[in-house]
Amino acid sequence: MDDIDAMFSDLLGEMDLLTQSLGEETPPPASLPSSNQEVNFSIGFTDLNESLNELEDNDLDALMADLVADLNATEEKLAAEIQGLKEPSLPASDLPPPPPKGLSTHPSSSPSPMRSSSSSSSSDVSTPASSATSPLPPPQSTKPSKEEIEAQMKADKIKLALEKLKEAKVKKLVVKVLMNDGSSKTLMVDERQTVREVLDNLFEKTHCDCNVDWSLCETNPELQLERAFEDHENLVEPLLAWTRDSENKVLFKERQEKYEVFKNPQNFYLWKKDKKALKDIKDKDKELLIQENFCGTSIIVPDLEGVLYLKEDGKKSWKQRLFQLRASGIYYVPKGKTKSSRDLVCFVQFDNVNVYYGQDFRSKYKAPTDFCFVLKHPQIQKESQYIKYLCCDDARAMNLWVTGIRIAKYGVSLYDNFKTAEKKAAVSAVWTNRSTPSSSNASTPSPTIKAKSPSQANGHASSPQPGPLSQNVGNTLPPPPPPCEILPPPPPDPVPSPPPPPPLAAKNLARPPNLTNRHLPTNFPPPPAMDNLPPPPPPPPMDDSPEAPPDFLPPPPPAAGFGSLPPPPPPVSSLPPPPPARFGGIDQSLPPPPPDPEYLPPPPPPVFTGSGAPPPPPPPPPPPPAPAPVAAPRAAVRPSGSLKKVPPPPPKRTTPPLHGGGGGGGGGGGDFMSELMLAMQKKRGDH
Amino acid sequence: MAAWDLSVTVVDLGPDAPPVTLSVTSDLHVGGVILKLVEKTQIKRDWSDHALWWEQKQKWLLRTAWTLEKYEIHADARLLFIPQHKPLRLGLPNGITLRLLASFSSPVFQTVMGICRMLNIRHPEELSLLRPVEEKKKKKDKDSAEEIYDLTEVPLSSASRPCLYNGMPAHFADSPQMEAIYKMLSITQPPPAPEVIAKQYRPASVVDKAHINGRWLDSSRCLMQQGIQENDRVWLRFKYFAFYDIEPKYDVVRLAQLYEQARWAILLEDIDCTEEEMMLFGALQYHISKVSQSEPQLMSTSAAMDDLDSALQSLEVKLEGEKLAMVDLLSTNQQLSNVTVCFRPKRLTLKGYKQYWFKFQDTSISYFKSKEESIGEPIQQINLKGCEVAPDVNVTASKFLIRLLIPAPEGMNEVYLRCENEQQYAQWMAGCRLASKGKSLADNSFQSEIQSIRSFLAMQKTNAGSHGNAHAADESINTHSLVSPRYHKKYKAKQLTPRILDAYQNVAQLSLTDAVMRFLQIWQALPDFGLSYVVVRFKGSRKDEVLGIAPNRLIRIDLGVGDVVKTWRYNNMKQWNVNWDIRQVAIEFEGNINIAFSCVTADCKIVHEFIGGYIFMSTRSREKSDTLNEELFHKLTGGHEAL
Repeated sequence: MDDIDAMFSDLLGEMDLLTQSLGEETPPPASLPSSNQEVNFSIGFTDLNESLNELEDNDLDALMADLVADLNATEEKLAAEIQGLKEPSLPASDLPPPPPKGLSTHPSSSPSPMRSSSSSSSSDVSTPASSATSPLPPPQSTKPSKEEIEAQMKADKIKLALEKLKEAKVKKLVVKVLMNDGSSKTLMVDERQTVREVLDNLFEKTHCDCNVDWSLCETNPELQLERAFEDHENLVEPLLAWTRDSENKVLFKERQEKYEVFKNPQNFYLWKKDKKALKDIKDKDKELLIQENFCGTSIIVPDLEGVLYLKEDGKKSWKQRLFQLRASGIYYVPKGKTKSSRDLVCFVQFDNVNVYYGQDFRSKYKAPTDFCFVLKHPQIQKESQYIKYLCCDDARAMNLWVTGIRIAKYGVSLYDNFKTAEKKAAVSAVWTNRSTPSSSNASTPSPTIKAKSPSQANGHASSPQPGPLSQNVGNTLPPPPPPCEILPPPPPDPVPSPPPPPPLAAKNLARPPNLTNRHLPTNFPPPPAMDNLPPPPPPPPMDDSPEAPPDFLPPPPPAAGFGSLPPPPPPVSSLPPPPPARFGGIDQSLPPPPPDPEYLPPPPPPVFTGSGAPPPPPPPPPPPPAPAPVAAPRAAVRPSGSLKKVPPPPPKRTTPPLHGGGGGGGGGGGDFMSELMLAMQKKRGDH
Repeated sequence: MAAWDLSVTVVDLGPDAPPVTLSVTSDLHVGGVILKLVEKTQIKRDWSDHALWWEQKQKWLLRTAWTLEKYEIHADARLLFIPQHKPLRLGLPNGITLRLLASFSSPVFQTVMGICRMLNIRHPEELSLLRPVEEKKKKKDKDSAEEIYDLTEVPLSSASRPCLYNGMPAHFADSPQMEAIYKMLSITQPPPAPEVIAKQYRPASVVDKAHINGRWLDSSRCLMQQGIQENDRVWLRFKYFAFYDIEPKYDVVRLAQLYEQARWAILLEDIDCTEEEMMLFGALQYHISKVSQSEPQLMSTSAAMDDLDSALQSLEVKLEGEKLAMVDLLSTNQQLSNVTVCFRPKRLTLKGYKQYWFKFQDTSISYFKSKEESIGEPIQQINLKGCEVAPDVNVTASKFLIRLLIPAPEGMNEVYLRCENEQQYAQWMAGCRLASKGKSLADNSFQSEIQSIRSFLAMQKTNAGSHGNAHAADESINTHSLVSPRYHKKYKAKQLTPRILDAYQNVAQLSLTDAVMRFLQIWQALPDFGLSYVVVRFKGSRKDEVLGIAPNRLIRIDLGVGDVVKTWRYNNMKQWNVNWDIRQVAIEFEGNINIAFSCVTADCKIVHEFIGGYIFMSTRSREKSDTLNEELFHKLTGGHEAL
């Protein structure tokens, strides 16, 4: 046993390092030497502080929770690994080594030694872990004496660990999104989130009608370009291409042309016909067109052909050429040649370029008309000869071309996106209808709110929002309505919000994964849980489920535990995966516990508290780092044990923040954490 | 009733045997005639497949209950007693000829169904038979030695679905020879020699392309009625370009043959494409031929495989743990680090290459003054994700350049890496390719990427080295085999290689099935895909024009301009009629649009059948099960015969 303890403390030490590095990951790297890629961690802000200050309270909370969750995740992973110790190949111990390396190389880098600051791209997550493996294997191997655990279990754990590790390395950006009315919203976006998910997020925050036209667009004032992100794209990636001093903006607005091709396919596929005939086209025929062009073995690109003006490389003049759109690219007919396919000259292929609308090119580039579009590599942010400028006679032609190019480039994803968006719109329409009335009366809404409140990290007064219910919550807290039915305790009017209803807390605690996910739908851990629970609003499940169901072996238990069986203890014992079980047990016991109420009466911050970060941010006195960690692992180690060690969990959670705050080595990380804490406090104080 | 003599030739008695004469009455039914006949021949054998063929009227007497009177047969009728199924030489889309028994008595539509059943091709309604283009008889008839795969031993079955054994119809599992035939059917053929392509007939114009469509056999009449004799050659081809419900698991033969037909259509410029597209098709062909050689057990997607899945999955989990370790090795110990030379062309500076110590990490390369300094800060680090990678290689001149176009906010930076040798080049090129797609060297495709780059280099070597010599047949493929003859003239093989290689990088990771599917998708995305041309004369017009028949529309092409003048979609079509007397097709579309034309290069029955056929194809749907509605097909395509 002593051995084990010793090992644990080792591990903990390493964990500290790891957590530091994690902490650093999110905040802006102090210095980014990389030449060709600068990373702004807050998009749309001049500096991080500003961005932090602008974060809405809930966002801030969310961000915080997120950070904490990351740490938790790591801990859990460690715990899990410890369990599987005997396996020599287990990466558990290895994790530690990387951090130092990472630190030394670059502030921004996470555990991966190989990562350079510029490698913000996700790349493969597994690598780092592996690198770590080599050093520490020996100690682990000493342990084999223990009875065998099922290979399956081990495998699962490894998998879990890998997932967690991945999660821990996920890049997150604070993004400021400009609304139609000139206001703005600030969100945290993690690199795995698709534009669709971010849109859903925004739907909740804005009470808009959720129709399919809502888009996220990026604008580039320098080049006077605008482009709507496609729903399946990851948002973070294109944002990372922005330069540090970029004036670029992210807009949230309706763009009619986004899915026009699916609403009126005839305008694109039969564009040569006269307009009147197109207008009178029957729905049945529209459907047929979509069927023909998007549902076959191959996606058919509208056959566009026409004279466009081309701004020649580096020259100021615009020259006319006969262009043709094909699935493989844009071609033009060289002088004196026929239009036959084999004579066509390739103008551009779509693999590496995006299509943008140009704005006011008539004055900027002396374009013949203002209906211009541009093809360029997303990384290019300034004037360059590699940007292709094209100009059409009228808006119709421009939309035809841009849409045609999008079809050629994105293929069936475009149609899939549309179907998803349509479903979303339909569902939210139903919801708004339904929820509007209900929102007013306390009884019905209560469930949702509850569910929501945790997810939103206690948006405090947030209660009013009617529409959002389904989505936000859906992602994070799967079981809004159902729980209410099952859980008697919650009934109290949620709105009042003051104290964190015990069940809530329990909930949060119960599912470690959820914590992670909280605001970020991306962290799908919840999906499994959701499955178990009668999913109330259809939409949420969709969002989550596709993602990482695997990790979450643990969630199911909690779900079951709290969903059906309020009394935690039984489940605990029965559940093999110790960590979750433990949590479950804890929650039950903890909810009432002091922290939450005492510290923060109004906001439900309990989430955090419960989760570990004791509200008092800067002074991390409570749990001394060393002991706490030890305890935690231990607890983890003894699965059979039972719930006893209530204390361990809290300390665990605390540990990370501790390090974060005091975090010696990784100055950046520490600063950021305390910064956050401060910000949070401030906000709370305001209230 | 008076008895009279009916003479029937029994072919099985030998060519010189006199006709058998029977004494019959007019109320004798056909079955009775056959019974008498068989008794008279005194030969004991299975006559069940035999039937009477009335030569003058070109008609089978298949209704055994009908009397001679009803058939209006008199003493002057010349009747033949012959088998209904006879051997036919069938040219497949992949160029191979099969010899098999086909029904000469049922409508061609059914004959094709039977053939497809035997060959395990689903959705036979999409195929039909075509009279072959006469080959110019060369003096030395070396084609006579052409290998013919014999399937005439296969018993005729009427089961609508052959039972599968080992993933293939049971009759193919009988013997190794039969298995070999099935393999031939289901695996794509290696690229043809350039001379073979060059030798084939290539349509030079739309009118040329139209001629082939005059050769389709009539689906509603039988082979005998269309003058096809025993052992004649016909082609089996996909006729309707509306491929329904392609399912790689069940459609092994169908996919392989479809691919072959598409490939030949591209190689012979039956369908036009751009140079870039041609290169991509070439790359896919190369890839497909390579993978199909190394992955021959494609067809054995049996149930056993499914069971394996779960086992594999759990294994995978374990491996993932181990992969960690391996990846680590790869990335730390074997990172590519090498002295290479770097050249960055900046406008006017033509300064040469400078040597640096390069290191490949993750998706970035960084370079240092020297190896010793490689522990410290690099001079520069370049992330290759999203960059364009192009080869600039001349093996004979030992030039191994990698051209990188690296995106940056200000534009694209052009960087050249010069490698010292093939080995180094292959590694770095592979690394750059993966990195440009965001994958690191640890990706398991790294080795295969290196391999494929090397094999392309090898190709260049043999092509350049052995000019005129027999091509080293084994490893290397002549790139001229992958493109249409137009490009044989335009490019030398070694010029072609880098271009195809360039396109190849986007497809190199595809599995065989995916690659075939991709090929078909790109083919189907070509603007002219699915068009069958017929030269017609529109009512009131004085010149020939071309009618293009596509799965969803008709187009009218002006021969002078070569442009599409008009498009009519079937879904706007109210009705179409054929006036069989003046052989004119008349079509009415919504909005009071009426068109009428007579057909020049094909019988109007063929056009009629095309239109009706496509309408039939569009009625197929999953709900209606997968039994073929033969009756509807004939109703839509039969014309006056159907009535």
